[in-house]
Amino acid sequence: MRKALVLRLGRVPYGPVLSLQRELHSLRRSGRVPDLLLSLEHEPVITLGRAAHEEDLVLPPEEIRQMGAEIFSVERGGQATYHGPGQLVLYPILNLKELGIGLREYVGRLEEVMIRAAGAFGVRLVRRPGYPGAWHARGKVGFIGVCVRGWVTLHGLALNVDVNPNGFQWIVPCGLPGLPVVSLSELLGRPLSVSEVEPVALRSFSEVFGLELLELSGKEVKAWLSQIG
Amino acid sequence: MDLVVPDLGEVEEVTLLRWLKGEGEEVEVGEAVAEVEADKAVFVIESPAAGFLRGRKSPGVKVKPGEAIAQILPE
Repeated sequence: MRKALVLRLGRVPYGPVLSLQRELHSLRRSGRVPDLLLSLEHEPVITLGRAAHEEDLVLPPEEIRQMGAEIFSVERGGQATYHGPGQLVLYPILNLKELGIGLREYVGRLEEVMIRAAGAFGVRLVRRPGYPGAWHARGKVGFIGVCVRGWVTLHGLALNVDVNPNGFQWIVPCGLPGLPVVSLSELLGRPLSVSEVEPVALRSFSEVFGLELLELSGKEVKAWLSQIG
Repeated sequence: MDLVVPDLGEVEEVTLLRWLKGEGEEVEVGEAVAEVEADKAVFVIESPAAGFLRGRKSPGVKVKPGEAIAQILPE
């Protein structure tokens, strides 16, 4: 089985992780590192994908910042989204050519990771044709936005575990006005934490991509990053 | 030489999102020149040759893999 390294970063602000992703992406392209998976939670942030429009921000940017969220325009697909505590984010940095996975297949597998992880907790999520993500009758639970350059991926998926829904009210999520957004905890009717969901989602990722995940400890992550840094 | 949307695997059509290089601008081999999107995935198209970017299609158009979106000319 092919191996990939997992870097569990905990709760981290968006900017430094964006820089890290871009750096690791270029190292993966040149073959200096193996396939990687970043697993984390973000501090509150609005990100605007390449298909976002100005009007996807419902509030003026200054007001959003005053409420404690940062705003970034990034190279991923899709429109506006919100990330914050209580949401599990996975950023795979994979060489799709080597894995033999096309663009559509890749998005489908990211959906499958979220569907399986939610299923392990007894929540049945589904796909909606034409609207990539992981869906429940009560709303959207899992989000996807990726970028592929030189057949190496960056950005990824976000799964609402127990996220404050207010952040989604500052934007038109995914360019769909009135889109209901829900968390697994609401659907289960009990508290659920990212630390409970993370190992399950990592296992789903491993199965769906056929990758054995080798987890680096916090110390190893630091040492490894300074080495390649 | 044509600047072509590559085979992306089961993708029938993409939207040309934007150009990263201007009409007539000089580009290097492997330089990122355009972004296309399908299904929440942005794919960055890199120049297959050094030269000058000519005849860029307009952002927003739908293009199929294998189709040219511009040309890379020697001058």
